[in-house]
Amino acid sequence: MDRNQITKWFKAPAKMANKYSLHAIYFCTGCGIIEVPPVITSRWDAERFGVIPVATPRQANLFLITGYVSVKTLRAIIRTYEQMYEPKYTVGFGSCPVNGGMYWDSYNTIKHLDKYIPIDGWIAGCMPRPEAIFIAVTHLWTLIDKGMANGYIRYRENYKSYRRNQEMALGKLEWPPLYPIDSNFEEARRE
Amino acid sequence: MVTKVMQIILSPILALVVGVFFLGLARKITARIHWRYGPPVIQPVIDMIRLFYQKSVSHGFMFDLGIILSLAGSIVVVLFLPFGQICPLSSSGGLLVILYTMLIAPLGLALSGGQAANPNISIGISRKLILSLGYEVPLLFVLLTVMTHYKTISIVQVVNAQQSTGWSLISCPLCLSGLSYFLILPAILGVRPFDVSSAPQEISSGPMVEYGGKYLALATIEHAFALFIGIALFVNLFLGGAANIVSFFVKMLVVFVLGLFINAVFPRFRIEQAVKYLWKWPTLLAFLGLIITLAIRN
Repeated sequence: MDRNQITKWFKAPAKMANKYSLHAIYFCTGCGIIEVPPVITSRWDAERFGVIPVATPRQANLFLITGYVSVKTLRAIIRTYEQMYEPKYTVGFGSCPVNGGMYWDSYNTIKHLDKYIPIDGWIAGCMPRPEAIFIAVTHLWTLIDKGMANGYIRYRENYKSYRRNQEMALGKLEWPPLYPIDSNFEEARRE
Repeated sequence: MVTKVMQIILSPILALVVGVFFLGLARKITARIHWRYGPPVIQPVIDMIRLFYQKSVSHGFMFDLGIILSLAGSIVVVLFLPFGQICPLSSSGGLLVILYTMLIAPLGLALSGGQAANPNISIGISRKLILSLGYEVPLLFVLLTVMTHYKTISIVQVVNAQQSTGWSLISCPLCLSGLSYFLILPAILGVRPFDVSSAPQEISSGPMVEYGGKYLALATIEHAFALFIGIALFVNLFLGGAANIVSFFVKMLVVFVLGLFINAVFPRFRIEQAVKYLWKWPTLLAFLGLIITLAIRN
């Protein structure tokens, strides 16, 4: 740890601790699973940045979605994201979550993941190198410092439109809304 | 009176600091054994600060109460353990009280997890109870041997007797019990190769699966206490305690690092392999130690 960071720790302990303790839950949908193990093990040791994989969304605050997102997977992704505790950060890994990638005309994949859950950062490429995860993490640090990694706040504020998008993709959702949505929207949804 | 109150306040804090330091050191040394650079030693503290600032959701009244109960149980055990010259409750209790109160911590976690009603938690708790069935048998033999050999149940008197006669780990019949205790130490602490109950890859870290935010921070603190208790008991019973705090912690550090070497390179047992192991070699050694001690005494 840098010596000149000590004053920052006293000024904003929550922000600094969020930066240096990113417990990640990896959602490896189809591809991208092979890039993650070298990152977390001896080859590129992500633990020195405080990034470790955890097994459950309750303990995590970094959500890494690698590879294409099919409609069925989207359901699991939304449920996992909503189970995480705030503050939480999301990173899309690979071209497919950004804009569909090579599945741009597929009938069964989601083209823009950002429509369904808020994404704080993207790693473009097919596939990106494992080092790209570190670049993403350092960029995420900058974003957290500036208060720009506010995906969870955007999700709370615009939950109505996110929920509408989710229902357009998945049909009726079998879980209740995470945040209260106003009554006339509820009525419109029931109709 | 004032010193006693000071000791009662100070000793859990000291145990917490040492336990958290051990957690950080474990991650660093494990990383070095894997040829990685590893996180900073204060990484558990950073994690805990983050967890305390995070929002969390309670799953009910017992969910809150159970974790506090387990934490309180751990603190009570720490108060009964002498380390250095600090022993707040030296006149009362002894090994039997420690044996009973050590059960409160896992019981609290089980109660807390039961409220959350996650299937992974039930699997984790049942594995934890089976594992404790495995290590309680040799542990009871070991403690019986120590109590028979020194003819006392007071842990302070055991420490004092060792100051004059030397460590019990290098005395004849008790070395078997000491070895047996060291073999079951990872099972008592619930770390690899005996982390069946909290296996992240199999059952999503078992009883911890619904903990997040401050609940996970409290569970980490409880784990730090458990780490301290398991090793401090070994140092007190078999390495002769210590005259001052510093040498006590140096002894704890040596035992901890030795255990860590096993932890870092061995994979996880399955539950039936763990019980098979625990009921074979450590039980055999402990039972042999008990028989020899009884034969010498009579």
